Amino acid sequence: MEAVLFFIAAIGALGGAIGVVAMRNPFYSVLALIAHLFSLAVLFLMLTSAFVAAAQVVVYAGAVMVLYVFVVAYVGGGGEPAWDPIKGQRFLSILVASILFVELSAAVLSSALLALGTHGPDVPAGFGDPAAVGRLLLEKFLLPFEASSLLLLIAAVGAIVLAGRKREEETV
Amino acid sequence: MLPFADTQFVEATWIMIVKSLVIFAIVFGILPILTVVERKLIGRFQHRYGPNRVGPFGILQPLADVGKLISKESFRPANAVSTLFILGPLLPVLSGVLALAIIPWGNVQDGVGLYGIDVPIGILYFFAVGSIAFYGMLLGGWSSGSKYSLLGAMRSAAQLISYEVSMGLALLGVIMMSGSLSLVDVVEAQGTIWFVIPQFVGFLIFMLAGFAETNRTPFDMPEADAELVQGFMTEYGGMRFGSFLLVEYMEILVVSGIAAAMFLGGWMGPGPGWLDPIWMLAKMFVLVFVFIWVRATLPRLRYDQLMSLGWKVLLPLATLNVLVTAVLVVTT
Repeated sequence: MEAVLFFIAAIGALGGAIGVVAMRNPFYSVLALIAHLFSLAVLFLMLTSAFVAAAQVVVYAGAVMVLYVFVVAYVGGGGEPAWDPIKGQRFLSILVASILFVELSAAVLSSALLALGTHGPDVPAGFGDPAAVGRLLLEKFLLPFEASSLLLLIAAVGAIVLAGRKREEETV
Repeated sequence: MLPFADTQFVEATWIMIVKSLVIFAIVFGILPILTVVERKLIGRFQHRYGPNRVGPFGILQPLADVGKLISKESFRPANAVSTLFILGPLLPVLSGVLALAIIPWGNVQDGVGLYGIDVPIGILYFFAVGSIAFYGMLLGGWSSGSKYSLLGAMRSAAQLISYEVSMGLALLGVIMMSGSLSLVDVVEAQGTIWFVIPQFVGFLIFMLAGFAETNRTPFDMPEADAELVQGFMTEYGGMRFGSFLLVEYMEILVVSGIAAAMFLGGWMGPGPGWLDPIWMLAKMFVLVFVFIWVRATLPRLRYDQLMSLGWKVLLPLATLNVLVTAVLVVTT
């Protein structure tokens, strides 16, 4: 049962990711990305992180992707390429992608992730609960948590300032 | 171990299957009744009789409606995208049925929890599955190949993300007061006082955002019959249109259920334990009546009014409510 679920979600995640770059129509790319995000949420659920899975769906699939879809459905349509390809783009992209793959593989393998085992890690009761995640964020990782929330606040204020300035120019 | 099996109370698999079937059967029995109840009530609000020809008092009207919708041709516009067009009405149904699982009809009685599931992420589950419904509307609107449908879908996109934030923040006060995300725990925490009294602002914001999330008047901009001819469902006919329509009632039931559990004490009420689900259902019906009452009373908002109400009134108010509640919870 678990294996079946895993393979469905894994195929969904990989297929979605390939679909994002392979689709010609930007609207289908966004749909593929949504499918990918939902599959990732299922994978998170199987790693007993219900909270991360829910946050993934609520934040990414529920809010961020809605904006993507909004923009693509209004503006998109595609057809013509946005810019001419750079010389040697194909060769460079393959090179950079393989470097990234090697780097990520090294990082994953050397971290000795417990979840890489066949049976998965032994987790304590309540692992991945909102309560457990909240305690970690507000006790152990308080400083990074506050720093990232400050960063988000700055980004939000910046977005409002930029959007507001444009409107002033238009009216003048 | 299954993903959601890490719940607070473990049951045998067959009990869970029976529970799901019972909840599904009861709710899908209620849905058609709800359509005729709404038409009857709106008739009364407008000094009409409402449907009264099919069966005694018109109660067989939904059967006639469904019979008519099923026997229609499944028409599809020539420039529609076929797969997405079919997928459109399916996603909201999926989302609605998934959300039903979380509504608590009672606590554990005789070894059976009277709810679909009681997950530790609780109310986050409701928001997570709720976000699926939006894609149904959007795919339906986009794939129809009609500008009315696209406009309706785009409006619903803007409306849903605007009001989802306020909806979540409105519930945060209740969650802080009860100290748990699980709906069963939230209801249990209302033994002394229903949260509608200390969290009245939260209740108002939740219900307003609920009208917007279910696309009901006064926030039915995505459908707006007069200007958009039903918005994202313009090109749909037959039972595909019917499922969009029935899902709206299912969403009303779900939002009423969540509101009843979070603010109106859920299954709490006098009488023996077996009355609990009845109490829950009664409270849900009171809220459903409010939905219908509001539809019969208020005109539709203009689009810019809808946006400024969401972002400039509800969101700051909800944030303030969270702040005040947080200070009170910490100090007392």
